[in-house]
Amino acid sequence: MRGLKDWIAQLRILDPKRVKIVKADVDVVDVEICGRLYHNVKPRRPFPLTHPEYVIFFKEDDEEVGILRDYRKLDKESRAHLERVLNVIYFMPQVKRILSINTSGWTYKWLVETDKGIVNFETWSRCIRIIKGKKVIIYDIHGGVYCINDISKLDTRSLLWLSVLM
Amino acid sequence: MMYYPSAQDMHESIRRTISAMLVSDEEIIAIAKSDICHDVSYGNEYLLLTNKRLFVLSLEGKVLEETWLKDVNMATLKAHLGLCVLVLDTRLGVKNVLFFSPSKKRIFEKLVALINDLTLNAIPASEIKANLGKELRLREREGKRAILIRLLKFMKPFWPLVATAFTISIIARILGLLPPYLMAILIDKVLVPRSNFNLLIEIIAALLGINVISLILRTILNYVNLKLNLKLTYRFRLKLYEKLQFLSLRFYDRYSTGSIISRVSSDVERIKNFLTQGLQSMVMDLIAMASIGVILVTMSPWLTLLALLPIPVSLIGSTLYRRSASKYYHRLWKRWSDMISILSESLSAFILVRSLGREHRMITEFAHRLDRYNTANIEVFKYEQKFWPAIGLSFTLSSLLVWWFGGLQVLRDQLTLGALTAFTSYMWSFYGPINDLLSQVRSIPMVTTSSERIFEILDEDLEVTESPKAKEVQMKGAIEFKDVWFTYDGVHYALRGVSLRIKPGEHIGIVGPSGSGKSTLVKLLLRFYEPQRGRVLIDGVDIRDVKLEALKRQIAIVMQNPVLFDVSIAENIALGKKNATLEEIIAAAKAANAHEFIMKLPEAYDTKVGVRGRRLSGGERQRVAIAMALLKDPRILILDEPTSSLDAIAEREVSKAIENLTRGRTTIIIAHRLSTLRNVDRIIVLERGIIVEEGTHAELLRRNGLYKRLFDAQFEGFTRPIPMPIRRRKP
Ligand SMILES: Nc1ncnc2c1ncn2[C@@H]1O[C@H](COP(=O)(O)OP(=O)(O)O)[C@@H](O)[C@H]1O
Ligand SMILES: [Mg+2]
Repeated sequence: MRGLKDWIAQLRILDPKRVKIVKADVDVVDVEICGRLYHNVKPRRPFPLTHPEYVIFFKEDDEEVGILRDYRKLDKESRAHLERVLNVIYFMPQVKRILSINTSGWTYKWLVETDKGIVNFETWSRCIRIIKGKKVIIYDIHGGVYCINDISKLDTRSLLWLSVLM
Repeated sequence: MMYYPSAQDMHESIRRTISAMLVSDEEIIAIAKSDICHDVSYGNEYLLLTNKRLFVLSLEGKVLEETWLKDVNMATLKAHLGLCVLVLDTRLGVKNVLFFSPSKKRIFEKLVALINDLTLNAIPASEIKANLGKELRLREREGKRAILIRLLKFMKPFWPLVATAFTISIIARILGLLPPYLMAILIDKVLVPRSNFNLLIEIIAALLGINVISLILRTILNYVNLKLNLKLTYRFRLKLYEKLQFLSLRFYDRYSTGSIISRVSSDVERIKNFLTQGLQSMVMDLIAMASIGVILVTMSPWLTLLALLPIPVSLIGSTLYRRSASKYYHRLWKRWSDMISILSESLSAFILVRSLGREHRMITEFAHRLDRYNTANIEVFKYEQKFWPAIGLSFTLSSLLVWWFGGLQVLRDQLTLGALTAFTSYMWSFYGPINDLLSQVRSIPMVTTSSERIFEILDEDLEVTESPKAKEVQMKGAIEFKDVWFTYDGVHYALRGVSLRIKPGEHIGIVGPSGSGKSTLVKLLLRFYEPQRGRVLIDGVDIRDVKLEALKRQIAIVMQNPVLFDVSIAENIALGKKNATLEEIIAAAKAANAHEFIMKLPEAYDTKVGVRGRRLSGGERQRVAIAMALLKDPRILILDEPTSSLDAIAEREVSKAIENLTRGRTTIIIAHRLSTLRNVDRIIVLERGIIVEEGTHAELLRRNGLYKRLFDAQFEGFTRPIPMPIRRRKP
C-alpha cells in the first residue's frame, strides 16, 4: 500500500548547505548538488506569492531535481545567482508609492513608483489579491504583476488611493 | 378529527356516513376531493384515508372503492396529458383508484406520500397525524396580520433605535408646523401695518433658527435610520445565511438559486424599507394629518370644509386609476419582456440563427417588437392624461374656492390676510400625507409576501440533524445498506429496497442506466438525505448515530464536475486537511497526477482557480479534487462518474490519479464508462432503484443480463471488425 506518506517520503528535499549555484544565465542556473553538477536547471517557485522562498529545480527535460524549502539559506553567492534568475522568471516590481489612480470607463489607470522605476498601467476593478492580510498583488489588464510587500508600510496617501479598490 | 387537505365544505350527511363506516380504533387521517369522476367527466369524488383503509366516495357518500392498507404495496401517480390517476399497487393487482386534473396534483402527491408512509415506510399513524397537525398549524399562522406582527417582533432588538427615530421625527414635524404660523404673524403684525421692525428681526431669526434645528435633526434622523437599516438587514441576512448552511439538499432541490438569492437580497430590502421608512412615515403621516386637521379647523371650519372637497375625488380617482391602469402597465411590461426575450434568444442561439441565415428575419422581428413597446408606452401616456389633470384640477379648484371665500372674508375683515396665507399653506401640507399614506398602505401586500418568502426559509425543518446520542467513530470502512427505500418527492421511489454489504477495503463498482439511483445511493451514505425506510450502517453503526463531523471527515466524494472554491490551488487542496504542510500539498498533487500541470502555471500552486474552478479544465479540476481527497485520507471513498465528462486523454490522467487514491480504502466507484471498473472487486448493477445483478466483470458477462447489454452497447463499434478497403500493393 502506498499512501500519502510514501509520496512525501519520495520528495527530494535538498539541504541548502550542500547546494551551490555556480552560474546564472538569464532564466537557468548551473547547480551543484551534493557534489554533482547539473547544467541549465530551471528554478521554479511552486508558491510564488505565498512562499516565494520555496524553490523546485527542474532539469531541461522537466524532470525534478529537488526541492529547496528556503533558498535564502544558501551561501551568499549562490543566493545572488539564484535571485538574479528568479527576478527574471518572476518579474514583480515592488510598489513603493502609489502616485495616483484614475478611473476611465471600466478601467483604472495607475501611476506608481516601484523599485524598478516609475510605471503606469491599467487594471480592471477586480485586480487586487491580498496574501495573508499583508502582501498585495496587483494584476494589470495585460498580465503584468506588481507587488506591495507589506501594506502596513505604505504611506497614507498611497493607502488612500489603494482603498478605492479594496 | 382532522380534515386534510381542505374538506371543510364536506356535507354533514357524508360526515355521518363516514363515521358510521369506521370500525373500532380506525381514525381518519386525510380527506381530499378530486375534480374528475370515475366516468372521466368533471365532478367530485372524495378520497378518504384512515389508518386502516382507503375509500373512494361519491359526493352522495356512496362507497365506490375500498382497499385495506395492509394489502397495499405502494401508491404512485400516473400523469397523462391533462389527467392524473392515483394508482395503488396491491396484493390483488394494480388499481386505478381516482382521477383528477393536474391542478390537484400537489394535493394528491402529498396523499400518495401519506399512503406510502403508512404502508411501505411503516410509519405509525399517530406520528403521521402529529406531523400533519404541525403543518396545518403552520398554514393557519400564515394570516397577513400574524406575519406583520411577527415582523414587528423581529424588530425587538432594535426598539431603542426605532423609538429614537420616532421621537426625532415627531419633533421635526412639529417644528415644520411653525413657519406658516410665524408667516401669519409676520404679515398681520409687520407687513400689513408696516411697523414693528423688532418683531421682523425676531421672526426672521426664529425662522432661521427653526431651519437650522430641523437640518440638524434631519441629519441625526438619517444617521439613526441608516443604523437601523444596516442592523436590520444584517440580522435578516445572517439568519437566512445560517439557515441555508444547514438545510438538507432536499431544500435546494425545491428552490432555485435565483429564488434564494432574491429572498436574501430584494425581499430583505423590501422589508427593510417598510420597517424603517414605510412604518415611520405612516405614523408620521397620521400624526401630521391629525395635527394639521386640528389647526385648519380652529383657523376656519368653513374653509376647512372647502379644502377637504378634492380629497374624496382624488381617493375615488386614484382607486379607479389603479384598477384600470394595471392592464396598461402589464401590457407595457409584457412587451418589454418580449423584446428582451428575442434579444437573449438571438444571443444564446446565435449559431442556429447564423446557420439558418435568419439574421434579417430576426432584425425585422426585433424592430417589430420595439415598435410594439413604443406603442404601449404612448398608450400609457394617453391613459394617464385622462386621470391626473382632472384630479390636479380638482385640487386647484378647491384652492381657488378657498382664496375666493377666504378673500371675501379678508375684505370683510372677518379674517386677517396672514391667517389666510397660513391657512392655504397648511392646506397644501395636508394633502401630501394623504397620498403618502395611501401608497404605503398599498405596499403592504408586497411586504407580507416578501416576509412570507423569508419566514418560509427560516421555518424550514432541518431534515438531517445530529441526534443527541451521536458518537465519534473511527471507521474501518464496512458499509451496509439494509432494505433502503428512498424517494425525493414522496411519489417516485429512486431506491426500492436496496440491500448491500461492502467489506472494509473492498472496491465496488456501481453501474446502471442513468436515473437508476446510483448517485442517490451514495448521497444517502453521506447523509445528504434520510431514507424513508431501511438503514445505512458503517462498521455496524447506524449513520444517524455517527457525529456528522466524523462522517464527513472520513468519507470523501469526488464528483463528475467537482466545484472548487475561488481561492488558490494550494488552498483548495489544503481543504482536505487542517494545517497541511507545503510538502503534503505537493505530495498529494503528485499522487493525484496534478503536480506537473500545476507547475506549468505561472503562479503554480498560488494560482486562483476562478469562480467554480472555471480557469482549470475539467480533467485538471478533477485532479485537484482528487488531491484534496488524498490529503483528507478518508476511510471511505466515493467516486461518482469521475471520468465521464472527460476526453480520452484526460480520462487516462485522472484514472492514474484514481488508482493512487483508492489503494487500501473502501471505494465505491459509479461509472458510466465500464473501462473505469477494470480493477474493482465486485460490480453492482442497478436498474430503477433495484439491484438486479451483482458479481465480477466476468461473472456478469456470463450471466448475459443488463450488464452484458450495457457492455455490448458501449463496445459495439470495437467488437465488430471494421471493414477495411483492400489495397493492392504493387510488386
Ligand atoms: N434532487 C432530485 N430531486 C428529485 N428527483 C431526483 C433528484 N435527483 C435525482 N432524482 C431522481 O431520482 C432518480 C435517480 O436519480 P440518480 O440517483 O441521480 O440516478 P443516476 O445517478 O443513476 O443517474 C431519477 O429518476 C431522478 O430523476
Ligand atoms: Mg448520477
